Amino acid sequence: MNKVTYEKAYCIKMEGTHIRKLSLVIFAVIILSGCSGSGFRIDNNSSENQAKAEEVLKNDKRLTSAVTTFHENNLLTAVTLKTFSRFKKVKIEKELKEKLENGYPELDVTVSADSKIWMEMNKLIDLKDNKDKGKKIEKLKSLIKEET
Amino acid sequence: MDEKKYAKLEKDTSPKTPLMRNMIFAFLTGGTICLVGQFVSLFYMTYFDFTERTASNPTVATMIFFAMLLTGFGLYKKIGQFGGAGSAVPITGFGNAVISAAIEHKSEGYVLGVGGNMFKLAGSVILFGVFSAFVVALIKTILVKLGVVSW
Repeated sequence: MNKVTYEKAYCIKMEGTHIRKLSLVIFAVIILSGCSGSGFRIDNNSSENQAKAEEVLKNDKRLTSAVTTFHENNLLTAVTLKTFSRFKKVKIEKELKEKLENGYPELDVTVSADSKIWMEMNKLIDLKDNKDKGKKIEKLKSLIKEET
Repeated sequence: MDEKKYAKLEKDTSPKTPLMRNMIFAFLTGGTICLVGQFVSLFYMTYFDFTERTASNPTVATMIFFAMLLTGFGLYKKIGQFGGAGSAVPITGFGNAVISAAIEHKSEGYVLGVGGNMFKLAGSVILFGVFSAFVVALIKTILVKLGVVSW
């Protein structure tokens, strides 16, 4: 009898603490996951001068990070935007594209603010061999154009 | 007893609506559903060739699938009681409205029961969606043909 009352008291005391702890951990993970960002990265395999692109991207206050790659006659840029600039994603893409085209008139410029493209570009830059890079860039470009 | 007196009596006797509490619960419930949706969308972007734009369609389908399971097991009504509008406004609420109607009328047969009654609650949403999309597309087509705007 005594044991039962003891256990009851323990249950009342511990009620909800586990789930509270668990929810606290989940909450912390979600909050802290916002702290990642890799800044501005440029990968240059061609003979082009990357300074102009760097200038255009770093001077734009709306960007939080940008990943750029020069490959043969392609210039591919993936950017992430500040939260409220995300509403003007298409417009910012267009503006950046125009600016980059002014800097590199002979290159085929593609700009995307899509996080999928950003993810893939980071993977692409970390790649060791340049063999399939052209193919992968073409694939990304077709992915950007896809509508459905 | 006139109308005003009755209204006052009713107001005094009926329990007060906890407006703030309801709003907070609705916010939390709707936010949690959207958080799950965001993770589903991220899953499709990480493991498949979907971009942010194209991942929305499979995400919606997956969320409706989750709502279907929860409705079938009788859990979605509990979420609805807790969250109110927070569980009704996202796509899962729409899925729940279709699926619960389908489950309710299953005993009347598949064609006249499920087929005939499935869209009783949520059919108007689809009708409005299709019709308004048609109207908007019509206006845009006319404007493009007139040369006011471009696609």
